Amino acid sequence: MIRFSNRRRGFMAALAAVLFTCHGWAQEAAIVIDDKVAGLIPISISGYTGEVDQTLKFDLEVAGFSLVSEDKARFILTGKNGTQVEGTLQDTSKRSILARAYPGGTPRLQAHTLADDVVQAVTGRPGIARSKIAFKHETGQRNGNNEMVSEIFVADYDGANAFQLTQDGTIARSPAWQPGHRTLFYTSFRPGRPCIYSHDLASGARSPISNFNGMNDGAAVSPDGTKMAMVLSKGGSPDIWVGNVDGSGLRQLTSTREAESSPCWSPDGRTLCFSSSEGGGTRLQLVDLNGGRMRPLSIGGLRGATEPDWSPDGKWIAFTRMGGGKNFELYRVAAAGGVAERIGEGEDPSWAPNSRTLAVIRRQGNVRKLSLLDAFTRQAKDVRTISGSCGQPSWAK
Amino acid sequence: MKRLLHVGFLGLLAALALASSGCKSRPKNITAIPGSEGRGGTSTDLTQGNPLPPTVGGGNTGGSSTGVPTPGPRYNPNTGGTGIDLPPVTNPGPGPDSDGNTALPPGNIRDGMREDTEMFRGNTVYFDYDKSAVKKSEVAKLAAVAEYLKANPNSKLEVAGHCDERGTEGYNLALGERRALSIRESLLNMGVSSANVTTVSFGEARPADPAQNDSAYAKNRRGEFILLTPIAAPVR
Repeated sequence: MIRFSNRRRGFMAALAAVLFTCHGWAQEAAIVIDDKVAGLIPISISGYTGEVDQTLKFDLEVAGFSLVSEDKARFILTGKNGTQVEGTLQDTSKRSILARAYPGGTPRLQAHTLADDVVQAVTGRPGIARSKIAFKHETGQRNGNNEMVSEIFVADYDGANAFQLTQDGTIARSPAWQPGHRTLFYTSFRPGRPCIYSHDLASGARSPISNFNGMNDGAAVSPDGTKMAMVLSKGGSPDIWVGNVDGSGLRQLTSTREAESSPCWSPDGRTLCFSSSEGGGTRLQLVDLNGGRMRPLSIGGLRGATEPDWSPDGKWIAFTRMGGGKNFELYRVAAAGGVAERIGEGEDPSWAPNSRTLAVIRRQGNVRKLSLLDAFTRQAKDVRTISGSCGQPSWAK
Repeated sequence: MKRLLHVGFLGLLAALALASSGCKSRPKNITAIPGSEGRGGTSTDLTQGNPLPPTVGGGNTGGSSTGVPTPGPRYNPNTGGTGIDLPPVTNPGPGPDSDGNTALPPGNIRDGMREDTEMFRGNTVYFDYDKSAVKKSEVAKLAAVAEYLKANPNSKLEVAGHCDERGTEGYNLALGERRALSIRESLLNMGVSSANVTTVSFGEARPADPAQNDSAYAKNRRGEFILLTPIAAPVR
């Protein structure tokens, strides 16, 4: 329902763009995507089959395109797939924008690469179709301790090529990438209680980083890959701590009676944003790495803000608003604070490297689906290749 | 201040232990209380309160290892007087910091301990929606756990906090931990040693009832107790 109305709104915006074009101005604004333009870009795709066809269409819809027939399209992508994927992108005047063949890799990878080239050509920004995500996955099985068994998975951003990283048979949660490395940090109950591990994907080796009594959770690695923020309760309350990625040099950054959760880093590595229940309710707070008191991030008086994530370009903080019960809404607010805007339904947002797309979780009955939300157009695409419940996505950067 | 009083109290007990056992060879690192050596204590000595230096903690005459709380001495009737049994004493552990938070014990509290999830199954504490305060109706369950721990100072406890699914995962992890900590603080206020109680949050990952209705949610918002007992019982 929501998606339909979003689509329609997108279509109206696209129509408006076409009308503006007829008046002879704003032609660029219809194409160049900036943070204010919320229109889907109509594109037609023809000549592809099977997996390549599906992959291309998924990629381009996630990137903010709408799939239309050629007569309604602003861009026309034609090509074929066989031994290699080929693609030609034209605008409505049949001017060729892109013509390329993709001989290497799997058909799926070829399709992703073509999609990224289309996104780059149309929007001027790199695509995300070849990026990876990590997430928590529940099979629905319970172990001997009556725990909902969850394991950490790594997959292509569209859920394909999913790889099970942990085999702990207990609770594993809160995966977080170490930027610039093929390393994941996460919490596992493997030792019988929560322990934060650092797991090198290349070698498969993992090391325990933090296993104090109490809470060891919410690991978030700094953008330069050297420091780690996390939530520890060893001081008698869940507080934000920061240390080196090997667990050394720990410092306590917040000291409250209530609980802090979900720390994330500003791209310059100087500030952390997190959720705190200090003072009642939950709100977003900031604290500087160099110390000082935590200070609230203004989000225009919204209540129930949790799970912030800072966009890689530094402009936005996305977060989940708990609206009571199981009503979860996604918002984004300028990193300097201000009025937050609702961008969709779901929880636990994680920004893609393009600072535009978010991996989120949407509850559908008993199942929690991984979904990709375009913050510009509000278009959401569920990842359908994964059965069972997903949680806590973390987009590799 | 509170801590000083505890030290003083321990000192007093250690003095009692020395006095009542009538020890002949004075343990090292112990400053003798003038006039106390070789004399059987009387019950009135108990209240005189000559505090010993803090070094007496490890100097009790029993065979227990350093750091194990000193049990209250049984009065020896042969030396005269009519003493009474003192309640067992546990080391209260570090107290709260300036924020009111009492640090969890260092090290792995589970090392060398056996888990018992059955002992306090009937004492599971339930919480209101989105709340971490212990309700009055649940206090009696906590009191029973506290009494057991005070009477069995070698036992330790892990408090597990749980949530219903109506909250984000990040928030529920923190809420579960707050619930466990809230229970822990109640136990400490009842006299349980802070060195013997730790916490763990399961968030919404270990529901008592996986159904999605109010009755299930009420069962899932809870704090459970995992009793930890030494695998190798101390030699008595």
